[in-house]
Amino acid sequence: MNKLAVELVKKNVDTYVVTYHNSWIGQHEGANGVKAYRVSNPVKAQLNILTWDLTLNQEVERVAADIYYSVQRKVDLIDAHDWHFTPAAVSLKRALGIPFVFSVDSLENHRSHGSNAPLSLSIKSLESSGANEAERVVVKSDWMKQEVNQIYKTPLEKIEVVSPDSLTWIDEILNAYKKALASSNSRILGRGLG
Amino acid sequence: MLSWEFPPRIVGGIASHVYNLSRHLARTGVDTYVVTCDFPGAPEREEVDGVHVVRVDSYTTPSSDFATWDYLMNVNMQEEAATIISDLNGRVDLIHAHDWLVANAAIGLKHIFRVPLVATIHSTEIGRRNGLHTNYERMIHQTEAWLAHEAWKVACCSRYMASHIQWAFGLPENKVVMIPNGIDADIFKQDFNKREFRSKFASPDEKIVLFVGRLVYEKGVHVLINAIPMVLARVNAKFVIVGDGYMRGSLMGRVRNMGLAHKIFFTGFLDEQSLPFLYQCADVCVVPSLYEPFGITAVEAMAAGVPVVVSDTGGLAEIVEHDKTGVEVFANNAESLAWGITRVLLSPSYAELIRLNAYRKVLETYNWSKIAEKTKILYQWICDEYQAGSWKPM
Repeated sequence: MNKLAVELVKKNVDTYVVTYHNSWIGQHEGANGVKAYRVSNPVKAQLNILTWDLTLNQEVERVAADIYYSVQRKVDLIDAHDWHFTPAAVSLKRALGIPFVFSVDSLENHRSHGSNAPLSLSIKSLESSGANEAERVVVKSDWMKQEVNQIYKTPLEKIEVVSPDSLTWIDEILNAYKKALASSNSRILGRGLG
Repeated sequence: MLSWEFPPRIVGGIASHVYNLSRHLARTGVDTYVVTCDFPGAPEREEVDGVHVVRVDSYTTPSSDFATWDYLMNVNMQEEAATIISDLNGRVDLIHAHDWLVANAAIGLKHIFRVPLVATIHSTEIGRRNGLHTNYERMIHQTEAWLAHEAWKVACCSRYMASHIQWAFGLPENKVVMIPNGIDADIFKQDFNKREFRSKFASPDEKIVLFVGRLVYEKGVHVLINAIPMVLARVNAKFVIVGDGYMRGSLMGRVRNMGLAHKIFFTGFLDEQSLPFLYQCADVCVVPSLYEPFGITAVEAMAAGVPVVVSDTGGLAEIVEHDKTGVEVFANNAESLAWGITRVLLSPSYAELIRLNAYRKVLETYNWSKIAEKTKILYQWICDEYQAGSWKPM
């Protein structure tokens, strides 16, 4: 994640990372030009990873909205990594018209060995919403592209493969972002990515 | 307005509160949308008495527990509400959330659209459970605290609750606004065959003592059971207990052991049509709660013209003025409760006096038009403060 953000900055993409930290919260801009915003969970007592995640999403939305309004609404795209913040990505897209890319590192089906326990089913429903509401899904291998297509019925043409071993991976990611922007019905025009 | 229940989906008291509040707000000219959970047979979108009602997929995949289900339901509720507000070009003046059950969605929407949030807290986890004993209870309590913290103002239905939530969540006094709960007095004006209906519950020589509520510890129905022999020693009565809950089995067992099964009728849940009739057949209505944020059953009985005997706790102590609009007895005290019930049943002129005073009080205070007006004033107050501030979508 850090590597991606740093390389995006080098490509002149104004990049904000919204993430979690239990105590080191607030804004931090590193020498590499990445602006990181860390939020903590307002609800400290939790039952499971899902309750923790679904009370953290609103803090992510708060900070994302603060960034959006502080840059005069000129946010081109959101890149959501794995299932945790797909609820925030979907709400921000529906509310503010910001398209999003769903980047898949791993899927619950593989992590839980096909479990149908309630927790796994719920995580799968969040992955499904990410895979189907995103303008583009970015995966790391052709195998994962097939898996996303089979499990979540996401059309193959919506799924971009960017191998971490590729020498031009950052350009390929930028290309996926541009495709997401082009396919979005958003009123917001590309800035920095155009 | 966000609510996890709205008719025909009725689980607790929030459904009727939101239904009545929203339609009376619409009458006063507030353009009101209610976003709620789906229900079999109910349309996804409809207009109910001038209110736009939108029902969202309430997340039917199995969940490990109720709170986890609720948070997952909030994901759907928030996404759907975001679409509605976006379709209105963000022109929503205020979001009104009812209880922690919609906290996540309401807080997310507040920040994304930068719209002020008002929360009605109907009851608290720490009050319902008489303390916080498990992680589950602590999580719900902290979600309530989070909602109260994020809200511009917190509304609650009694002075008791106002002081309780200030204590429970550490809120400043001026953040909490008391607006009473209301009832629709018209439902007690329908014609029915009283003699025939009454005969389903009691013989003509028996007075009817009515209890309506969930059969759970906090409602104090066990105190009523303990009071019954003391009442029967002086008056011939039938005790009709409406509602269900985890204590039903043990209460019925206790009644059998006391040899009083023929004097106590557990009806279970009663349909919406029958309950107003039953109130009107009762000679006295008892609300012996140990914890009661408001006490809507007391107001319903008062609206039906039935004298009430209530415990001097929570909101009940504000609704009922002793010897004027009802009888107040000591909470968790069977002797005191039996005294209150016999006082009403043995003195018809006293019963008539408190019954008439109570009816007047219901019309004056617990009237939805007045409650909607008060709510509208609260909305206006928040909107004025919001307009004067700098936190806005830019």
